[in-house]
Amino acid sequence: MTTLLLTLWAFICGVDDATTQMLRRPLMICFVTGIIMGDIKQGLLIGATLEIMWMGIGNVGAYMAPDIVSGSIISCALAISSGGGIAVATTLAVPTSILAQQLLILWETINVSLNPWAQRLAENADVEGTNWLIYPPMLLIGFIRAAPTFIAIKFGSGAIQNIVDSLPTTLLDGLSASGKIIPAVGMALLMSVMIKEGKMWIYLILGFVLSSYLSLAVLPIALIALAFALLHDQSNHNGALKKQAAQTVVSDFSNEEEYDL
Amino acid sequence: MEKQLTKKDLNKLFWRLQSVRVTLNYETMQAPGFMRAIAPVLQKFYPDKEDLAEAMKRHNTFYNSHVVGNAIILGISAAMEEITTTPEDKEGVIALKTGLMGPLAGIGDSLLKFTWVPIIGSIGASLALNGSILGPILMFVLFNIVNMGGKYFGLVYGYEKGIDFFTKTEDNTIIQRISSMANVVGLMVVGSMIASSVKINTILEISAGENVIQLQEMLDTIMPNFLGLLVTIIVYNVLKKTSGKHSALIIISIMAISVLLKYLGVI
Repeated sequence: MTTLLLTLWAFICGVDDATTQMLRRPLMICFVTGIIMGDIKQGLLIGATLEIMWMGIGNVGAYMAPDIVSGSIISCALAISSGGGIAVATTLAVPTSILAQQLLILWETINVSLNPWAQRLAENADVEGTNWLIYPPMLLIGFIRAAPTFIAIKFGSGAIQNIVDSLPTTLLDGLSASGKIIPAVGMALLMSVMIKEGKMWIYLILGFVLSSYLSLAVLPIALIALAFALLHDQSNHNGALKKQAAQTVVSDFSNEEEYDL
Repeated sequence: MEKQLTKKDLNKLFWRLQSVRVTLNYETMQAPGFMRAIAPVLQKFYPDKEDLAEAMKRHNTFYNSHVVGNAIILGISAAMEEITTTPEDKEGVIALKTGLMGPLAGIGDSLLKFTWVPIIGSIGASLALNGSILGPILMFVLFNIVNMGGKYFGLVYGYEKGIDFFTKTEDNTIIQRISSMANVVGLMVVGSMIASSVKINTILEISAGENVIQLQEMLDTIMPNFLGLLVTIIVYNVLKKTSGKHSALIIISIMAISVLLKYLGVI
């Protein structure tokens, strides 16, 4: 019963992630997974940990990121059922998300077959027919999330428990420590998108200092950041305007000189 | 000029907008979904079947943007189809879409995905870590106010004001300005999250004669969370060198190195 509910939840999250995108973060996904597993507290703890761990992970352009939707449900459910908690969840989250990502790439490849269909509909001006265009990929993306979840929960639980029991503690402690270092990858991914020129580094350092030395939370820092964003824009914009103005003044001046001569 | 689309039409567009991304594919990205979304509007504008087929084919070309960008572009495209009359002007909608999809995706990513999600994610996570079910619920509500609200507002604004706003020549830097402001906020949030979520503690000791100095304590007095910042900058440089393609490999390397360091008694 639990397995079927989790499979259904994976299907719902899978379809949502490709359409309305209302649930796609680990905190919300693991919360419901925790409810289904009958352990809300663990669901919250694991959800919060995975949320921070995958903070900067997201699809950028054509790049498909690790699939945190399937990864969160599977790792959260198996961590609760094996009693391993956060350490098991963070350890499982990485391989499951990366494996599930391969299925997303497969989905995006299969979707290419929608193009001839869409082309035919367009040529026939068949507006009614377009209604059906979204259902096959929707079922497929749901299935691609639900099937691995079903297999992992149905056959994985016992195996994971045995593996966890037999692993040396150094290995588990090390993996557990890595869960607190992995967020660096998400942060670095964000930085590589947002740092477009050298002077932008100063804002990163500013945020770091406000949090690290002054222990401010994210919300106040975001509000302070708004002020800096406005100042940044004003100085850039005014700079550009002044440059323009200076150029017109110079050209006026040279005109006048010519006139005098 | 009186706008032709009613509130009911816009609601239908909004509903169809939700499933644009499900047609994502490697050949034309979200093109089939976009064509499907705008089809009922085109049907309203073009009673003639030939014209309708032309218009549908026009929107079945390579297209990809952020979901909120999709909303704005869908609104503008509907407005363009409504006001243009000559075939040349009608083809112009393709150029407009292509010109806007990149910059709008950039703004959408940096504002929603990389600023708003980290902010509400860390608020939600800190509540949830204390065992409060408010964490995920608050995150869900805050996320969807911006997600759904942004899509609806983007669609209506794109349809009613979009053409003036995005094609006015004196304000052609506006997209760039918004996205650079979003980057400032985003980077400060990222900087704060490096301090709060990337945690490395070394247990190494340096013995200087009689005195034993805890390395971590020494680092903390100079700069708290220094090791986290250092690792993040190293990962950033590796990502830059490999143009961001190997994030999964980097994650696995971090796991392996952590186990090794644990074994050696460094962390």
